[in-house]
Amino acid sequence: MATPHFTVHQPATLEEALDLLGRHRASVKLLAGGTDLIMKLRGGAMSADHLVSLNRVGGLNRINYQDEDGLVLGAGARISDVAAHPDVRKHYPALAHACSVMATTQIRNMGTVAGNLANAAPSADTAAPLLAYRGSVVLVERGGRRQVKLEEFFKGPGLTVLEPMEILEAIRVPVPPGRAGSSYLRLSARSQVDIAAVGVAGFLALDLDGCMMGVRLACASVAPTPVRCPEAEAMLEGQRPDPRLLARAAVACVRAARPIDDLRATANYRRAMVQVLAGRVLQKCLSMAQGGAQ
Amino acid sequence: MAKQTIEITVNGDRYEVAIDPWRSLAEVLREDLRLTGTKIGCNQGDCGACTVLINGRSVSSCLTLAVEAHQREVTTIEGLAKSPQELHPIQEAFVEKGAVQCGFCTGGMIMSAKQLLDKNPQPTETEIRQGLSGNLCRCTGYNKIVEAIGDAARRLAPAGEGK
Amino acid sequence: MKNPAIIGASIPRLDARQKVTGQALYTDDLTLPGMLFGAILRSPVPHARIKRIDVSKAKALAGVKDVVTGADTPQVKFGNWRLVPDSQDELPLAVDKVRFIGDEVAAVAALDKETALRACSLIEVEYEELPGYFSVEDSTQEGAALIHAESEGNVSLARKIKYGDLEAGFAQADYVREDTFRVHAVSHAYLEPCSSLAAPDEGGRVTLWTSTQVPYIVQCLLASTLGLPENHVRVIKLNTGGGFGGKMELRKWEFCAAFMAVRTGRPVKFTLRRADELASGRRRHGMPIRSKVGFSKDGLLMAKDFDVLLDGGAYNSMGPTATFLCGNFGAMLYRYPAYRYLGRHVYTNKPPAGAMRGFGAPQALFAAETQMNMAAHDLGIDPIDLRLLNAMETGDEIPEVATISSCGFKESLVKVRQMSGWDVKRQEKKPGHGIGVGCYSFISGGVFNWFNTKYNFASAEVRVFEDGTAHLLTMATDIGQGSDTVLRQILAAELGIGVDKIRLTASDTAVTPKADLGTWGSRVTLMAGNAVVQAAKKIKEMLIPVVFGHFDLNQIHDIAFENDRVFSKARPDKGFSFGECVYKALKGRRGEPLTAFGAYTPRNKGLVSPAFSFGAQVAEVEVDEQTGLIQVHKMYTAHDCGVPINKMAVEGQLEGSIHMGLGYALMEDFVMKDGRTLNTTFLDYKIATAQDMPPSQSVEIDTYEPEGPFGAKEAGEGLVSPTAPAIAEGVFHATGYRCLDLPITPPKVLQGLGRLKG
Repeated sequence: MATPHFTVHQPATLEEALDLLGRHRASVKLLAGGTDLIMKLRGGAMSADHLVSLNRVGGLNRINYQDEDGLVLGAGARISDVAAHPDVRKHYPALAHACSVMATTQIRNMGTVAGNLANAAPSADTAAPLLAYRGSVVLVERGGRRQVKLEEFFKGPGLTVLEPMEILEAIRVPVPPGRAGSSYLRLSARSQVDIAAVGVAGFLALDLDGCMMGVRLACASVAPTPVRCPEAEAMLEGQRPDPRLLARAAVACVRAARPIDDLRATANYRRAMVQVLAGRVLQKCLSMAQGGAQ
Repeated sequence: MAKQTIEITVNGDRYEVAIDPWRSLAEVLREDLRLTGTKIGCNQGDCGACTVLINGRSVSSCLTLAVEAHQREVTTIEGLAKSPQELHPIQEAFVEKGAVQCGFCTGGMIMSAKQLLDKNPQPTETEIRQGLSGNLCRCTGYNKIVEAIGDAARRLAPAGEGK
Repeated sequence: MKNPAIIGASIPRLDARQKVTGQALYTDDLTLPGMLFGAILRSPVPHARIKRIDVSKAKALAGVKDVVTGADTPQVKFGNWRLVPDSQDELPLAVDKVRFIGDEVAAVAALDKETALRACSLIEVEYEELPGYFSVEDSTQEGAALIHAESEGNVSLARKIKYGDLEAGFAQADYVREDTFRVHAVSHAYLEPCSSLAAPDEGGRVTLWTSTQVPYIVQCLLASTLGLPENHVRVIKLNTGGGFGGKMELRKWEFCAAFMAVRTGRPVKFTLRRADELASGRRRHGMPIRSKVGFSKDGLLMAKDFDVLLDGGAYNSMGPTATFLCGNFGAMLYRYPAYRYLGRHVYTNKPPAGAMRGFGAPQALFAAETQMNMAAHDLGIDPIDLRLLNAMETGDEIPEVATISSCGFKESLVKVRQMSGWDVKRQEKKPGHGIGVGCYSFISGGVFNWFNTKYNFASAEVRVFEDGTAHLLTMATDIGQGSDTVLRQILAAELGIGVDKIRLTASDTAVTPKADLGTWGSRVTLMAGNAVVQAAKKIKEMLIPVVFGHFDLNQIHDIAFENDRVFSKARPDKGFSFGECVYKALKGRRGEPLTAFGAYTPRNKGLVSPAFSFGAQVAEVEVDEQTGLIQVHKMYTAHDCGVPINKMAVEGQLEGSIHMGLGYALMEDFVMKDGRTLNTTFLDYKIATAQDMPPSQSVEIDTYEPEGPFGAKEAGEGLVSPTAPAIAEGVFHATGYRCLDLPITPPKVLQGLGRLKG
């Protein structure tokens, strides 16, 4: 475990940052909050001769909500700021919750939601609620921009569709419909402050007949990437809420999980917990949707 | 690889230091500026002993590259008391409520408490416990620390507020 | 009882201001001119013969000033049990063999940390691997290779305790049960990683600043391993960021720092990384414990047979003491007419287990107290009633082992029952909620001279001055528990001066009086406290004649030392300020300073300890039967620590003990594979955070320990034991799931309830 050596570049604009990425393409990484990157570099899990810091790029830390366009989180938006933002708390409570319970205060003050996604840890806490809210990511390179749905973004542990010369510039989340409910529950088997051993997020809305629509369920820490649960979603879509149906959907969520045994939990336990948490998340979503205008 | 020169303001004092860009803020504070009140308990961002404020926000200085603190204001535990005679109310409360044992976590714990009370001057016990969850203590069981922060909140409250 | 204003007061620690302002110095905060940085090369394999070591590449690296291997050292074995030289099984650096992943093989000193680490990676070591044993069952099986050639069957020592007629006891018992419990290894997880800085001194001497609980033991063992006279080694402890038993031996980096400082003529500092601490640091002994116990149908204890294999890891460390104490605590608390204990300390190819808060008691008491709860359930007797029926009392004797000179156990049980609302909560059960009890007893230091010191177990020197102040010198070692404050309270109470009048010099082996065995086994308040009292009494004997002489007092007068004054009790106007009295005494002695030594060594106190503390704890828990998560809502404790010297410090010890006990019960565990520790960060080695900790309510039972200073006895260690059995019983009460193997994890709860497949 020798100390990693690298040069740190601190561009003031995104263009400069893209230039630097290109110039040092042979061995370069982007630095945002650094909470994962620095550990990976020190631990030898990753190496780079150059780091391009996004922390002095103007305008990147925006958190912006508009009733037409929904939510935009800049790549520099800190997890703690997202957690505390009134619009996020109002329209995306499951995301606000994920951002307020993950890691520690210090790490939330340093880390960014974009970094949490770009690291592509299977346990990324913000990924499951953003999947449930139909989030997408805006990727920029010198040639231009593209928008990728979050469910198409993750490729494996630590792997995404990001090209080497691309920067995750922002996260976009559409405006949720009215009469909707959403929730994120995480569980770590030992302590309150922990990497989630299992996380489940859900979203659903009710139509005028009281049938569920736009149902989304997503899990973290139970597969190589954060995953959606399409089978469970399909079972619920267009149906009237019924406790037995919700329970069956929770069981179906387990089939989306491909968990492993690791330090934090066994695969068996994770599977069982996906069902428990999915059941609770659906209940919570439903009562929120039934309870109010949100 | 060349050293980078950074200017940082720590506890109101301006420093200019040439450093290797891979070094952490915690190392530079301790080794170059000789401000050893910031402790390294894990060097992995898990224990909170290295907590400092950068522009008023608490961070783990062991995971923060010192170059990222260039032209920023850093507050460490040494910068909290107005003078040796006049401690910050959080420090006073820690002393009087028995919130200190071995003391190794204390500096970081107090910086987290400072961040918490700056944002939320009248926290509930649950909020205090959440605010401290990034700072590990092996000696006290935290109860006296929680008590001290509640007490500090009362000391800091303008007359008539809180109780 | 004297000076109630000082004794029992919740006075803030005297070092707290330094600590809250960041001024308090810990070893790693020191930098000396010309200082080198050390790094250690550790074994990557669990058990192997060293075929070859080549350090040439490391030596050739620019910036490297010294590289040492076992071959360069005097190769003197060491260990804390000097009384039994055969038990001293460690070398400062490995010679011929390595016995666990992390065993120290070589050390480097270089101009900077990075170079030292890089040089370590350039040392070539060729290993011939031997079979590795990672459980006591494996290492004690027939034909297992020997981890140490001298220890047959890989059992390094066995300890027996036996009294009463065991066979008759079981024969007469109406109810007999036998259970096997498994307890696991956990980390001390002190927040300050170990750090040691050595500097060469004139005349071939060496000074070592080190984060330790035992400066005197480090001095002696460092001298013997370096081949120096004891007096050539000076050990200084600065602030130490917790120890909990993990810093009570000579450690190899202490040796390497001193050895290389002498070789290079420059200061050398080693500071461990957290990963080193968790991967290869000392830990609490894991054990399988087989316990058989018999009761009469009315619930009276008849006999107990307690059989334990201690997983000692690769070296003895403090295992011999833990082996004995485990047997002792298997039968403390209650009156056992017959008891038999067999404890065997077993070598395995894992990081050595050592002393850790409780020292054998948390393991023994998890088994013993859980079994008590199981018996209560079967016998249909309330668990607290069953305990009251069998509880020890003041004056009880354990034949040839100990006499209980003060005991507030029954009072603790009665009090905790009332405080916790036990009877109601036990009867009116809410689904998922439970309440459970666990109890403890603990020692106030050990009486056995395993270190084979020629000096007293604790010593103090007191100097008083004509300005009304005093200077207390002691080798007693404050590692965070607050002894620097408590000892000054004791001296202040005895001399009748304010604590602020007392300067303290502690834990510097060159200037503080010989000796003090250090901080472990909850010995400091009682032993060092008694030494301080004795020294203070001698000072008073020097001052009393001055008052008598000056005021021409009738000899029936008694002299008081209070409020910074020395005066006749009957005629308070006849007296001086403390300073004036010293001044007059000094004149009378023609300038010879007033200095006195005090000491304490327990004599005729049985085999264990001069005093025992007791207590009972109740845990209120809630179990989520779908996830298996356990939440502890509240802890109630009533305990007997004699007279608390500093109430706030006692509460701090209690709350810290609950933290460690709760971690032991629920979340702390080493995840190991083939001898390798996998969870080497605080992210994965979980200690409870502020959010995990329940509120605590506690009360001290009013007792007076005749052997302790001002009636005080142990307060900081025993309390780590009752928490796990209390929580386990709470979980049983809530769910019906009985955990016999710690920690109680959510998957185990679900499996126990039949809701999760293995």
